[in-house]
Order: sequence, then structure tokens, then C-alpha cells
Amino acid sequence: MTGARVDLDQEAMGRDLVALVLTIVELLRQLMERQALRRIDAGDLTDEQVERIGTTLMLLDRRMAELREQHGLEPEDLNLDLGPLGTLLPRD
Amino acid sequence: MTMIQDTALTYVFAVCRPSGERTAAALGGLAGVGPPAPVRTLAMGPLTAVVQDVPAADYAEEALRQRLSDRAELERCARAHHEVITAAMAAAPTVPLPLATLYRGDERTREALRAREDSLLTALDRITGRVEWGVKVYALAGQPATPASAPGAAAATGRAYLEQIRSRRRGREERQGAALRAAERVDTVVRGLAVAARRLRLHGAEVTGPRRTHVLNAAYLMDRGRERQLRAALASLGRDEEAVEIELSGPWAPYSFADGGTPP
Repeated sequence: MTGARVDLDQEAMGRDLVALVLTIVELLRQLMERQALRRIDAGDLTDEQVERIGTTLMLLDRRMAELREQHGLEPEDLNLDLGPLGTLLPRD
Repeated sequence: MTMIQDTALTYVFAVCRPSGERTAAALGGLAGVGPPAPVRTLAMGPLTAVVQDVPAADYAEEALRQRLSDRAELERCARAHHEVITAAMAAAPTVPLPLATLYRGDERTREALRAREDSLLTALDRITGRVEWGVKVYALAGQPATPASAPGAAAATGRAYLEQIRSRRRGREERQGAALRAAERVDTVVRGLAVAARRLRLHGAEVTGPRRTHVLNAAYLMDRGRERQLRAALASLGRDEEAVEIELSGPWAPYSFADGGTPP
């Protein structure tokens, strides 16, 4: 048996963990965006509420971009390949 | 220590129509999956199997599992398997068997294949004079519809931001829909030239790379003479379908039609 199959590089493992955590956060963020669009389409929000939700989501998006940048991650790094099910997050 | 440790297993590559000495001659000099034993033919009535003796110690269950979970070794085995099948196919109609089809000796091989004789003969009838072609269609990563909706472009208000997400989502759905429809058109055209077709599993981003999405993975069984027609049809589709990339591979031994296949 070869001993070189698993590369135990601590730095790489830390980076993978950050990417995984940010992927989950990104999934939740995108679900919130979807839910917001659905509620706007249903028409049960006031203009003021729409504006506030939009602003909050926009700030979250910016914060995510900052976090990605800090950890040297591209948007496409935050995703999981689920094999036959496709990817966790939609790809552009 | 079990008995099989000492005996040889019979690795079966393919089943052919008997062709006198032609198949045996075509296999001469091939290394197969594991020298030193030669790749040989095993006659059994209306069928001839292409086989090789392999050491049980290397191919018994546990050893085999380890072997096939090692990427480099898996590749070596797959290439050797394919090389033998290609050589056999050049000599006589050949039904390829799955990688790592193993029996405990020639007698067990005969018994097992005799039990499947009818379906193997049907498959041989079906593939005689025909080859398999693979067609893959990929959706290309889209360009954002308008510069304003590009990711990262700052929106002035919360409402504008929400509109941005909405149009990005709509664009993505439209592109996906367009790519899937293009894939169906490609499939319909190629199916028209084939005697049988089969849809295979799509590959994930790990295989395709991040810049494209796999939307069609299909295998077609076609008369040997159809190649030029097929290439012309795909070239014309390639010009018409701008949303997708079309890839052709082959001609292959009819790996996807060893059990028949559905009519087009």
C-alpha cells in the first residue's frame, strides 16, 4: 500500500474547513434571497419592507465577498459537487 | 489461507463469434491485464470467450477492491481491457464484458456464460457490423445578460439589488432551458441515424471543469458506414446550436449495448 494517498497538510485542511463553512453560509444566504423574492411576488410586503430586506441581503452579499477575499477563495470555490445530484449551489 | 490463493482465476474480456484462428491471431502479443499468462481464446459452442489467467492472489476479492480503488491501477486495467477488446473486435463481432469479469477457472467461465448464451447471442446479432459512438453535450458558462446584473456590481438601493438577483436567476434558468432543449435536438438527430441509443449518467463538475455543465451523455449503436453522415450532422448542429458544445467520441466497441439496448 502506498502511504501517499492522503496528504495531511494542516494549512490546506484549515482552508478546506473555511471553504466548507462559507459554503453552508452561502447556501443559507441564497435561500434567504429566494424566500425574499417569493414574498415580494406574493405581494404581502410594503415598499419600505422590500427596501429593508433588499438592503440587508445586499450587505450580507458584500460581507460574504469580503470573507471570501480574506481567505483567498473564488465564488466557484464555495460549492459542493453532489455527483449525480449536481452541485449544491447553482452555477452560472 | 483459502484454496483460491493458489489457483489462477479466469479474467474474461469479451465474447465473440467463433472465427477460426483469426481472433487467436489478433490477440497474439497482447499483455492483457496481467502478464505472464497470454491472452487466449476459450471455445464454447456458438461462442468464443477472450480470456486470460490471472493469479488469484492479485485478483481475489480484497486484492481486486484495492486494485480498482487506486486510480493509476484502475486506469492501467481499463486501458488493457480496452486494448484486448479492440483487437478482438477487429477479428470478429465482439460483445465486451465489464471490467474485472472474473471466474474461478475455465469450467466456471463456461458454465456462467452458457447460462447467458441466449442474451449474448442476441447481443452479437445486434452489434454485428455496428459500432458505438459517444456524444456529449455541454452547456457553456453564460455571460451575464447585462453589465448591470454582473455579480459584484453595486446596486444603489435594496430594491435594485433584489431586481438584480431576480434577473440573474431568470437568465440562468433561460440558459439552462436553452441548453437542455439543444441537447434534446442533438439527441433526436443522432438517434435518427442509430439502431439503438442509450442515455448515460452525466458527469459532475469534477470531470467537466467549472466552466461548463454536462447536459447530454449518450451512446449510439450505428452501422459502420454511417460515420460520415454522423460527422456531417454534428458539424451542422455545432453551427446552429450556439448555447452548447458538442463532443463526439468513437468508434468504440459496443460497451453500452452488450445487453441489447432500447430501439431509437
